[in-house]
Order: sequence, then C-alpha cells, then structure tokens
Amino acid sequence: MQERLDALLTSARAELAAAADDAALEQWRVTHLGRRSELTGLLRSVGSLPREERREAGQAANAARRELEEALETRQTELRRGADGAQVDVTMPGYPVRLGSLHPLTRTLREIRRVLAPLGFRAVSGPEVEWDRYNFELLNIPADHPARDMWDTFHIDDKARPGELLLRTHTSPVQARVMEQIQPPVRVIVPGKVYRYEDRDASHEAEFMQVEGLAIDKHITMADLRGTLTYFVRAMFGPDRELRIRSSYFPFTEPSAEAEMSCHACNGDGCPVCGGTGWIEILGSGMVHPKVLADVGYDPDVYQGFAFGMGVERIAMLKYGVTDIRSFYRNDLRFLRQLR
Amino acid sequence: MRVPFEWLCELTGIEASVDDVATRLTNAGFEVGAIHRAGEHWDRIVVGEVVRIDPHPNADRLNLPTVNTGSEEIQVVCGAWNFEAGDRIAFAPAGARLWDPYADEPVLKELKPTRIRGVVSRGMLCSTKELGISDDHEGILVLDSDAPLGQPLAEALGGEVLEFELKANRPDALSVLGIAREAAALYGTQVSSPIPDHRAGEHGPSQPVQLQIDDPALCARYSAALVHEVKVGESPAWIRDRLEQAGVRPISTIVDATNYVMLELGQPLHAFDWDTVRGGFIGVRTPRPGERLVTLDGQDRELTPETLCIVDAEGPVALAGVMGGLDTEVTDTTSSVLLESATFDPVSIRRTAHRLNLRSEASRRFEKGLPPELTVLALRRCVQLIEEIGAGRGEFLTADAYPEPSDPAAVSLAFDRIERLMGVAYDRGEVRQALNSLEFGLDEDGDELCVTPPFWRRDVTAPADVVEEVARLVGYERIPDTLPTGQVMDLAPGEIDERDDEARDVMAGLGFAECVTYALTSEARMARLVPPDLLDASPDTPLGDADAWAAVHESAMDDAGRALADRLLPLDREPLRLRNPLSMEENVLRLTGLGTMLETLRANRRHADRDLLLFDYQPSFLARDGDLPEEPNFLTAVIGERVSAGRWNETGTVELPFVRGVVDELLSRSGVPADETSHDDLQHPTFAAGAAAAVTHRGNLLAAYGEVDAEVAAAFDLDERSWALLVDMPAVREASAGPPSFSAWSEYPSALRDLAIVVDAEVTQADVYDAILRAGRPLLQSARLFDEYRGEQIPAGKRSLAYALSYAAPDRTLTDKQADRAHNRVVRALQHRLGAELRG
Repeated sequence: MQERLDALLTSARAELAAAADDAALEQWRVTHLGRRSELTGLLRSVGSLPREERREAGQAANAARRELEEALETRQTELRRGADGAQVDVTMPGYPVRLGSLHPLTRTLREIRRVLAPLGFRAVSGPEVEWDRYNFELLNIPADHPARDMWDTFHIDDKARPGELLLRTHTSPVQARVMEQIQPPVRVIVPGKVYRYEDRDASHEAEFMQVEGLAIDKHITMADLRGTLTYFVRAMFGPDRELRIRSSYFPFTEPSAEAEMSCHACNGDGCPVCGGTGWIEILGSGMVHPKVLADVGYDPDVYQGFAFGMGVERIAMLKYGVTDIRSFYRNDLRFLRQLR
Repeated sequence: MRVPFEWLCELTGIEASVDDVATRLTNAGFEVGAIHRAGEHWDRIVVGEVVRIDPHPNADRLNLPTVNTGSEEIQVVCGAWNFEAGDRIAFAPAGARLWDPYADEPVLKELKPTRIRGVVSRGMLCSTKELGISDDHEGILVLDSDAPLGQPLAEALGGEVLEFELKANRPDALSVLGIAREAAALYGTQVSSPIPDHRAGEHGPSQPVQLQIDDPALCARYSAALVHEVKVGESPAWIRDRLEQAGVRPISTIVDATNYVMLELGQPLHAFDWDTVRGGFIGVRTPRPGERLVTLDGQDRELTPETLCIVDAEGPVALAGVMGGLDTEVTDTTSSVLLESATFDPVSIRRTAHRLNLRSEASRRFEKGLPPELTVLALRRCVQLIEEIGAGRGEFLTADAYPEPSDPAAVSLAFDRIERLMGVAYDRGEVRQALNSLEFGLDEDGDELCVTPPFWRRDVTAPADVVEEVARLVGYERIPDTLPTGQVMDLAPGEIDERDDEARDVMAGLGFAECVTYALTSEARMARLVPPDLLDASPDTPLGDADAWAAVHESAMDDAGRALADRLLPLDREPLRLRNPLSMEENVLRLTGLGTMLETLRANRRHADRDLLLFDYQPSFLARDGDLPEEPNFLTAVIGERVSAGRWNETGTVELPFVRGVVDELLSRSGVPADETSHDDLQHPTFAAGAAAAVTHRGNLLAAYGEVDAEVAAAFDLDERSWALLVDMPAVREASAGPPSFSAWSEYPSALRDLAIVVDAEVTQADVYDAILRAGRPLLQSARLFDEYRGEQIPAGKRSLAYALSYAAPDRTLTDKQADRAHNRVVRALQHRLGAELRG
C-alpha cells in the first residue's frame, strides 16, 4: 500500500509540476483526486484490508490525499501569481503626479545665494523703479556723462519730477542704498530685475535679472575679489574652472575688471559655447570707486572693497544650455518642466 | 573705433602679430571686439593696369577695358567710367570670388566668364564693395600708380583692422595715436609722433582772424589755421585707404585731411570756406533769439538758446562740434579755408547732439572731454598733411583763443597704496617703469609718489586711477586668489525674506509651475480683466476713466470686491507710464500680473489639456505721490479647468474648493492661523458671479480667488473655465502669527462619530462648523467635512452636510456613554441654533 502510494505521489507531483494552466490543473485533479482516481480507489479499498492494517493504510492514504490537495492549491496559487505577475507590468507609467516647479531663474538665483552665503554675503533687495540719483549719480555717473550710454534707460513719465524716475538699469543702486544705511563691514549680494531700453533678440532682453555683489571693509583687496570670483565659478561650474580677469571700465569701480572663466563645455579647448576661444565672459567687477564710497559717507582712505555684477539669465543659459534668453520669459510649461 | 593695423604698427614700430596685439590691448582694457581682415578672400585678385579702353560696339553705357595682369592681357566689359588708360586697378579674373554687391546679406560669388551685349567678359574691375572693403559701389577702386603690377591685391591693399569697443573714460583712446601709446607701453617701443614740430619762422597771420569766446565754460579753447591756394579734389589713395579702413568715407582733400587727423589724433576739426565767413571774425556763443542756421544736411534749423554755435560777424555758421553750416561748406571752388580746432564743453555738445539726433564721430569725441592742449597740435598736423598732398599752403596756427589755461593736476599717493588696494606687492622699479611707459611724470619723496599725467590723460585724478594704470600695465595675471577675511556684517536693510522662498516652494509643492513674467505691460492687457462693456473704454483710456470706475464700484462690486480693487487688483489706478516705451504693448508698469498670467495660461493651453497650474511671484507697481512707487510682491496663480486625479487618464474638474485648498495651505504655511481668517462672498467683475471668495484676516484682505468671469476668459481667448488666485503676500506676512507652535494631542483612543444634518441652504458651512466646534468643547478633537448634498433626497431649499467627528479626553479613554453625551450636545446645539435636522 505504502509503496503504491509513494509511486502515485511521485508521478502525481511530476505531472502537477508540468501542468501549466487551469485546464491542465483540472485534468490533473480529476486524474489524481477525482472519484475515479487511483487514490480514491485506494481509499475505497482500505475497507477491504485486514482490520489490523486498515488504520495505518487509511491514515497513509488520507495523508497522501491531503498532500495532493495542498500541492494542487500551491500549484494553483503559483500559477495565478504567475498570471497576475504578467498583469502587473512594472513598465507601466506611474499615475500622474501633480508636482510643480520653480522657475530656472529662481533656481539659479538660489544657487548663487547658496554659493556665496558661506563667504558671508547676505542677500538684499531694492526698488526696481529708482531715482536717477541712485541709479547713476551716486555711482559716479553724473548727468550728461558719456558713460550713461552704457545703459539704455527706460524713463518714467512723471510730471511732478520729470527725469528723476527710471527703471533701474542695474542692481548697483542697491549698493548705495545699503552703504547709506550701515557702516562697514558690508558684504551683500543683490539679486533682482533690471531693465534696458533695448530691442529683444536671442541674446538681449529688455527685462532681465542681475546679481550684484559688494564687500567693503578696511582691507578688502583686488586679490580678494579675484579669489571670490574663482571660488564662485568653481562652485557654480565645477572645480576645474579657471578664472582670468582683464582691465575694463565701469564708472563705479577703479580699477575695473572683466572676468572670464574657462569654458565648462569644452574645458577651454574651444567650442560653439565659448565661440571657439575657450573662455566665457561671465561678469564685470572692480574695486569700488573712492568717489562712490565718499558719496555715501564712507572715508575712502579707510574703507575699500570690491563689487561685481552678473546676468542671471546668462549664468542659467550656460548652466542649462539655453540658447535664447527670451525663453525665460515665455513661461512655456515644456520649458519650465525640463529645467525644474 | 576702427584702427588699421598697419597704421598702428607705423606709429609704434611693433612687429608682433595682429592677434597678439589684440590680446594684449584687450587685457589692458582696450577691448578688441573684432579683427576685420580685408583680403582674406582675395585668392586670385591682382593689381592690374588698364592698357586701353575700347568702346562697346553694342552699348553706349558700357566700355571694354583691356587689362594687363602682369602675365597676360585680358579684355573685359565694364560699366564704370571713373578710370583712364594707365590706371592701376584691382582686377578679378574669371574664377575669383567676390562679394555680391546686390545681395542683402554678405555673399561671396564666383566670377564666371559672361557674354554682355555680345562681348565676352573674362574678368572684372572691382569696386570696394565687391572687395568687401566698404559699402561704396560707385565706380571701381583705382589704386596708387606705384602699386606693383601683377601683385596679389591682398599684399598691395589687404590688411587687418582692429575694431575697439569704446569706453567712456578714455577720449584719448578714440585715436590711432592714443591706441599706439598704449600698445607702445605694452611692447616697450617708442611712439613716433606724427605731429610736426612748431614751424620756425612762421610770422604773424597772413590775414587777421579775430576770435572771441563768450563763455570759457562752454569753449575752453578755440584755435584756427588758414590754408590758401586750396585745391579741392580726390585725396591720394593712401589717405582714402586708411579712411575707408577706419570706416570713414573719403570725400575730398580738405575734408579727408580733417577726418584723417581726427582719426589719428582724436581732435575733430572743421573746415570753413574762409571767403564765405563774414567780417574775418569767428565767435563761439549761444544763439540770440530768432537766429537760424541751415546745416550741411540742408535743414533750416531754429536754434534753441542752449545750442552752442560758431558765428561769424553776422550770425551762426555752424553748430559747435555737431554739424557745419551749408553756406560756409568747403566746395570744389573753395580757394581758402579756415581750419577750426576747438575744445568744447562735453555736456553742451552731448546735449545738442542728442537733442538733434546728430551724433557723429566728432560729437562722440567732444562729449568725452578733449584736452585743450590738443587743438594746436591737430592744426599743425592737418596743415602739414594738406601741404604734403598738395591740397593747399597754410599756417600752423593763425589765431588761438585760450582764455583760462589749465594743466592736469598731479596726484600723490604712497607707494604701499598700490599693494593695499591690489592685495599683491609691486616693486618700485616696476611702478616707475609702468608709469613712465605711459608718459606720466614722476616725482618721489621717500615713500610718496607724485604723478603728473600727460595732458591727454585728464581721466587720471585720484590715487586709485594711478593704481589701475600700474596694475593693468603689469598685467592682472599678477593678482593672486585670496578670500576676504574679517568681521561678519550686521543684518542688512532690505534683506531678502526667506519666506519668499518658502511661498514659492509651497506653491511648487501644490503642483504649480513658477513663471517669471514681464513687469512691463499695456493698459489694454489689464483692461481685458473686466468685461468690455463695463468700462466706457477708448483707445486713449483703455482702462476707463474715474466716472466709469465709480459706476463699476457702485454696481458691479460688493465691499470685498471694492477692497480687492483697492490694492490687489487696482485697475482704476493710474499706472506708471514709460516716457520712452519700446512699443505700446509694453508702455506701463503692471498694476497686477493677472493679465499676463491669463495670457500665459492661454499660451500653454495650446499644447496641454490638463494640469495647467501656474503662478507668478513678482512685484506690482503702485504709484505714490512724490515718492518711489510701492512694489508689493503679489502672488498671482491661474488654473485651467482640468487636473489629473487618480489613474492615468482620469481628471477632475477644478471647482472653488480646489482653489480654497491651495489658499488654505499657502496661508497656513505662511503662519496665518486658520481660525483668524474668514472666507466670504466676493463680487468683482473679473470673477464669475457666485464663484469667487475673498479671504480676510481681521478685516484686511489677504487673498481673492474664484472662477474667471466668462467674458473675461473669452477676452483672453480661453476656451474653458479658468480659475485665478491673487494673494497679497505682504498682508499675509502682517497676519502671520510667526512659526507654528506645538500642542499636544491625547494619547488615548478617540471615539469616532459621523454626523449628517440637513439645514437651510443659506446656512453656511462655516456657521455649522463653528457651531460644532463650540458645542463639542472640550472633548471634540476635530471635525472633518466629508460630504455635501443637495438634491432630490432632501427638501428643496435645503442642503445636507456630513462630518466625521473625533472625541477624546487628554487623561483617559472615553467610554461610549461619555462620547455619546458629548456628541448629543453637538447635535442639540445644531438643532437649536441652526434649525438643523439629523439626516437618517
């Protein structure tokens, strides 16, 4: 009896393992557990065994039956899981998630702030509609000075004070505003919108963002300026960036310097991003003009320091590979979602 | 400023390559924006000689020059007549490439043999435009007669031109000599000055010229030289070449000579036909009432009182430094000329040039401030040049008025000032050499350095200026990298509020894409925010007038609407207007960003049918009398009709509570306690009636939100329902209770009870909710609305509200009985106070 049961179990298990679908399972069930199955036959035949064997044989046959029933169930589950597994296609896209985005200019501005914060620069803001006095005069650009041609200016039509109100052409007026209010040490950056009376094209905007930096103390030098700028471009564009500065002119700095960094796209070998030169103009800077210091009430024989200013769109264009400055103001969701 | 490289080399003796010179000058602060290389494309063009000119058998307007190229003779067909047999010309044989003079964009075209009116042309005599030298296409280029026959044109004529980006502080750099001085200092060479020495033996003026300067503040110096036996004609090729390369069109001997000297030395000169100047008198003054002048461009101008003029004995003959007069212009018949070389007030010239929109090479130099020393030097050079080219015979100086002579002031500084500013040491020898090479006078007294700038460097007035000269001459490569050390600054005024960042983060977290929009807008764009028939708008007053708005305030708004119109959406305010807008599409500063945001919504709607959630967080501009405008940062959000919800393609429709969820989250994250705010009906023409709300905090408006009025949406071309949210973030800051504070919750299990009631439709949710909270105290922990129903299953005029209530005690587990008792109190209160019935 036991031998037959063992043989039966062995072959039934093998057949069960081979059964691959519901029909095969049903067939197997009929064959091995059905009324006409061998096991059923064996169970029925227990009654005809000698009394002393009946108990043992009955238990063995029932155990075999339970085992087969369990095996069937397991196999059914196995197969179903297999079938369900095919339904749970892990390559299906996720359900739509409505997560918004920060504008790439906001992200760039934050990064600039984050990079410069450890050097002690605090971010301040100032008005976008400015007095001529702050935008020009306090920056050593008197009325009718030819340097005014460097900034094409939008003027506000103001009958009460004609010619005095304008849209700031740079964030530099905030320099004067800060220095008027506090004594050195000063270390601020000024992010914000500026305006130029200029036709728009792929590389020019009438409205754009700038970040101004200003550091004034007793011993702040041009070397500190250069070090700060090197630190900045490496933090923004990678540790391999080189910085070079060359002489330039701004009315509110003396000496003045234009800063360029080695191209982050080609590492200085020359490519379309840097116009083949290997270098990218990134900002203007210099040592704050003694006249600017004196005009806000600082003693230029005691205090000195540096200032720098950069276009945020330009930084973002370099960082994200954007080629048209106007894209930042079109607010196309396809653009905003790419650069979030 | 365009400087021909060979000219620069001639004055400096520099032998370096053009690229090297450009780089070193750029690094020293004279930025070369471009290097133009004439002749780059002249592969086969040579110096040819016209052997003879035959008539064209079939065309009177064409001729047939035969050109000797040095190796062969070639006949071509030509349409120009400005040359003769024996002239040397630029010859392009078939196969050479030339610039197409008729194309709009610069295009190189290969020259092919062609048959013109029956005669084959196997080449071309070139104009300067075809060669790419200038825009001049009148006649062909005639070369110097000593140009070597057969030589490639690139060798005979080609050359690089450096184009400098102008800086406002260096009038001396607006001249070849000025650039040459810089280059010589950088390369350690000597400048050979083109200015001739004073001519000995020149005695007294040939003819009296009387000069008078009325106001030395407007004209510091006026010098004049007479030239006789003037021959006006074409200048020699070398002068014309240099002028053309520098971007100045050659005209005739005398004018070319004055322009040449202006380019070379930076001093603009003007030539008067002396015989037309009345009374032997030249004065500099502002005009008398009624005085007029016909200028060179033929315009009869009335002279405003501030226009500085040159006058003769009878009246104005020129606008000083800006434009000459027609009557005294040098012409072909001129026989004697008075050369003017003057130092005018930069501000006066700049104003006049701007006012009349007559900015020229001359006015650009005057307005940067020229040194008075230069006038007589420029005259000498010009007279010498005129004599050299045989265009006249003159005096180096006939008359000179210089009422108040002044010298550049010396600047003193300590040697260590340089290191203190630059953060790097320079040895004294280096300092001396740098300043000497730029021709500064030096005087030393121990550690003190006294620097006298040369006359052309009046921009150097302070120690920092001297430091800059040393630093840029030695080179900025010397400067090391250090980081600023020292004390941390105090809190700065106007410090950026971190909470602005947080508000942006909250909105982004709620699914909104941040937009950065233009502050400049048009009144028409803002006017579209109210239905068009409401305002009696006209093109002159697109935003309506005060009367129209008074009516709107009266009829189309409730108190909340008026509060909204007062600040967050102040469409009846006078916007700040630009005096010089780029276009009428952007001629005012915005009062609200909503118009622009609805446009942005529309633009994105073209490519997306759902999840259009946008916000903008930029200032609006509210004018204040006699002060800068207020620039409050208002948050403006817009939402399209459909948003994703659930499975891939499932969407929900935005309704008012959707927007409220956004408002509540933003306000709560900004620290405004929910129980201190109130949401009330809002009636304002921008919003749809009955689908808008105002949020107030102790009576102050914080925000407004709702569905955009259908007519307004249509005006923005929106094809679906749209929603808007305006938040006065500065007011939100005022209402903020600061950082959140912790309150403990019960650690014991809560007893949950649902509550469904039926109330009159007029009873607000807020009334019910408040009543629940009040009656549920102290055990009620929270009440959450989970359904609203109106419809068939309850009587008309009623609504059903359902809440999930949670009861707990801080110190024990509530028994069912205790919870029931508390819950029954709530039920009774609702029945009693609001006439609510329990819904079965």
